[in-house]
Amino acid sequence: MNTMTLDAGHAAPAQPESLEKETVDSQTKVRETVGQPFCDDAKLRMRGVNVFYGEAQAIHEVSLDIGRNEVVAMIGPSGCGKSTFLRCLNRMNDTIDSCRVEGEVTLDDEPIYGPKVDVVPLRARVGMVFQKPNPFPKSIYDNVAYGPKIHGIASRRAELDDIVENSLRRAGLWNEVKERLDKPGTGLSGGQQQRLCIARAIAVSPEVILMDEPCSALDPIATARIEELIDELRENYTIAIVTHSMQQAARVSQRTAYFHLGHLVEVNDTETVFTNPQHELTEAYITGRFG
Amino acid sequence: MTDLTQQQVRERIERRLASRHLKEKIFRGLGIASIAFGVLAVAILFADIIAKGSGAFVQSDIQLEITYDPAVLGIEQVDQESLTWANFTGVIREALRERFPDVSGRAEKRELYSLVSTGAPFALRDRLAADPELLGQTEKVWLTADDDVDTFVKSLSDSRNGFRGRTSDRMAGWIDQLLVAGELKKRFNSNFFTNGDSREPEQAGIRAALVGSLFTLLVTLMLSFPIGVAAAIYLEEYAPRNRWTDLIEVNINNLAAVPSIVFGLLGLAIFINFFEMPRSAPLVGGLVLTLMTLPTIIISSRASLKAVPPSIREAAMGMGASRMQVVFHHVLPLAMPGMLTGAIIGMAQALGETAPLLMIGMVAFIVDVPHGITDPATVLPVQIFLWADSPERAFVERTSAAIMVLLSVLIAMNASAVWLRKKLERRW
Amino acid sequence: MDMHFDQHISRQFNEDLESIKTEMLEMGGMVTRQVADAVESLANADSELAEKVLRVEEEIDRREMALDEHATLIIAKRQPAASDLRMVMSVIRIARDLERVGDEAGKIAKMAIALTDEGTSPRGYTEIRHIASAVRRMLNDSLDAYTRFDVQSAMRTLAEDEQVDMDYRTAVREMITYMMEDPRSISRVMNVLWTLRSLERIGDHAKNICEQVVYLVEGTDIRHGHEDNLKKA
Repeated sequence: MNTMTLDAGHAAPAQPESLEKETVDSQTKVRETVGQPFCDDAKLRMRGVNVFYGEAQAIHEVSLDIGRNEVVAMIGPSGCGKSTFLRCLNRMNDTIDSCRVEGEVTLDDEPIYGPKVDVVPLRARVGMVFQKPNPFPKSIYDNVAYGPKIHGIASRRAELDDIVENSLRRAGLWNEVKERLDKPGTGLSGGQQQRLCIARAIAVSPEVILMDEPCSALDPIATARIEELIDELRENYTIAIVTHSMQQAARVSQRTAYFHLGHLVEVNDTETVFTNPQHELTEAYITGRFG
Repeated sequence: MTDLTQQQVRERIERRLASRHLKEKIFRGLGIASIAFGVLAVAILFADIIAKGSGAFVQSDIQLEITYDPAVLGIEQVDQESLTWANFTGVIREALRERFPDVSGRAEKRELYSLVSTGAPFALRDRLAADPELLGQTEKVWLTADDDVDTFVKSLSDSRNGFRGRTSDRMAGWIDQLLVAGELKKRFNSNFFTNGDSREPEQAGIRAALVGSLFTLLVTLMLSFPIGVAAAIYLEEYAPRNRWTDLIEVNINNLAAVPSIVFGLLGLAIFINFFEMPRSAPLVGGLVLTLMTLPTIIISSRASLKAVPPSIREAAMGMGASRMQVVFHHVLPLAMPGMLTGAIIGMAQALGETAPLLMIGMVAFIVDVPHGITDPATVLPVQIFLWADSPERAFVERTSAAIMVLLSVLIAMNASAVWLRKKLERRW
Repeated sequence: MDMHFDQHISRQFNEDLESIKTEMLEMGGMVTRQVADAVESLANADSELAEKVLRVEEEIDRREMALDEHATLIIAKRQPAASDLRMVMSVIRIARDLERVGDEAGKIAKMAIALTDEGTSPRGYTEIRHIASAVRRMLNDSLDAYTRFDVQSAMRTLAEDEQVDMDYRTAVREMITYMMEDPRSISRVMNVLWTLRSLERIGDHAKNICEQVVYLVEGTDIRHGHEDNLKKA
């Protein structure tokens, strides 16, 4: 799988015409990705990833790099496989019996799939924030402290307190909740809950944060807060975000990947994708031309 | 397709409106009627049971002037040994003869003696044992009346004639005299709650059955809850979905529908014949009822596990929690109220179960209150079954009274299920 | 590349885009007409026609403002992306260019009035006619290229501007030479010079329109001599 070199990725946009002829019907054909799926300083590297649910193939030959301290947005119509792909990156798909993942996924050049890989430390390194805010039905403090506790990161209460405070501060929630850390996390507003989930994720100091439509259940103001937060988090973390809002992808990401029916159609600088996408399907999607 | 104007459409809608409302009303009426029927049935059942059974909570007593005459008793001093063979029956007969001096003849005397319960001498023995000073003295004592007398007295208040049964005219005359003199009174029947079973209705109580039920349920709960919850967790959280787990699921559902007598036969074959456990013991009863309640508990536990939102599992898993941590830190606490409710409902079912217990010998006549799970015992529903089978008229009201006790325990258990759910259910 | 502005899921969006494009092209038609009228009024010393040009100019200004507002509304409501975004942006920019072309036509009309008052210029009409016909053709072609999303044609039209510039410089040199020879005609020749200057500016605006055609279709910005951007992409 490593034989696929960077050149292959850069060569693709040279002949976009040939690809533009493809229509939506050509779904079974394995498509070559247009644009720049690879980067030099990759944190996560995917090569030739195929995902199956039983007999059905959900992801076809996807190769993509996610660079260090980069925000990569994944967009595409519902059922295009972007969430499935995201869940491959911390092996959340393992919980689905019928799900099978082929191909190579590496984190810092170490494969994350394999018999010897333990998912517990992997998931500590690759955190996840879900579509619906899902705080545990526990106190705000316990929500954030849960990860450090189960992974044995903090041994003393004072240490744990520090981690909780820092995580909440970084998630921009500290000032809103510092007076009521013992109150249930589910009592917060939707946006606060989602920031609590982000705080919970960063409490174990992950290297990568995966976000699966983190704002789809939130109002615009809460969304703006989360987007602001994502931008701040980029300094310390690598972020992959799936979103249905193209404007959000345009606002928060450096690169945008467009998925279509399980194929990675185009990856490019976000700027390019939103002003001048190279693939017809990307163009059709972001301008709202699908029936 | 014809294009309808808005006016036409509105007219059509309005035309159908009346019949739609009517249907709605009919449906609502049917619902109310069926609920009313159910409530009525329950009301009649309760009214009948309470009407029949309330009498069992009172008992007639006869006041007699008892002389603890050492000559009649045949003892010189009060001690452990002398008390066991002292003739208290003689003392009572003496007192009765003194109360009704004009009674003569063998048959008449036998009738006179039958006014007082055969258990009365034991009451006198207890009094004397408590206070040895009474020896040789005379005192007025309330003694339990015989069940025939009791039944007659209770029926008197219902109608003028009264239920005679084995009560002769002569006896009725004596009872009238006693009543007029205020020497025959009704009091709260504490025997019913403190005694074990007896052939004599006025001596029979439910204590042994209640304790037997308690021990049996304890065994059932201790076994079925952990096993059921463990099985449910494995099936729901760990087991892969394949033909084997499907088969297991179908079988669990089938087991829940198996007639309970089959479990009794199974218990008889395995626990008593093969493992040679004691018959009539709460241990075996509990084991059999465990088999019977397990499917219920597994099914309800699985349902409450399923009801835990998957987002919580995902959240925990996404944090890197292991499967067991996910289950024990997050899923189980959320599913617990539902599981407990299921368990209590299963227990209530087990409490009311008779058939399988008949098979393992818990139908025996047990007078003594059991002291452990291996002592011979009976349970409440079996006690009810036994009493319902007894010929004495006085057992009718005791049967109903026992049903009332059983129902109260059931209601209490179900209420505690509701209360537990309310208390444990996290509203956050 | 095929441009499909009529395939959005939202029909209203299709109509909005279509309508700003139509408005812009209508404005383009008016402006083209203005240039023709202005040049004609100058050539024929027709002050009445020149007055008309000045009147119409106000209408063009009004139209530019309306188009701007319309485009702003589309951005606010639809947040257009990719080709839609480029469409809206190009319409806004072209409208500004067209408005300036209108201004230049107005200037030419003022010159025509001045020349009618002061008497005709002894020189320059040939040059004016020559350059005017070139820039009018450019203007027409650029709007045409826009209508048809024709990058090739736009690039050809764009290249013509160089010739216009050259002709303009030649004409200016000639006029200056003449003014030096005959200082009495300076003020009249100056009017011709201003006219030539305006025509040259119109050519530049036509060039800008062509650049917007390229931006709209290819998504590359070739303004300010960045034609090589197109080859790169």
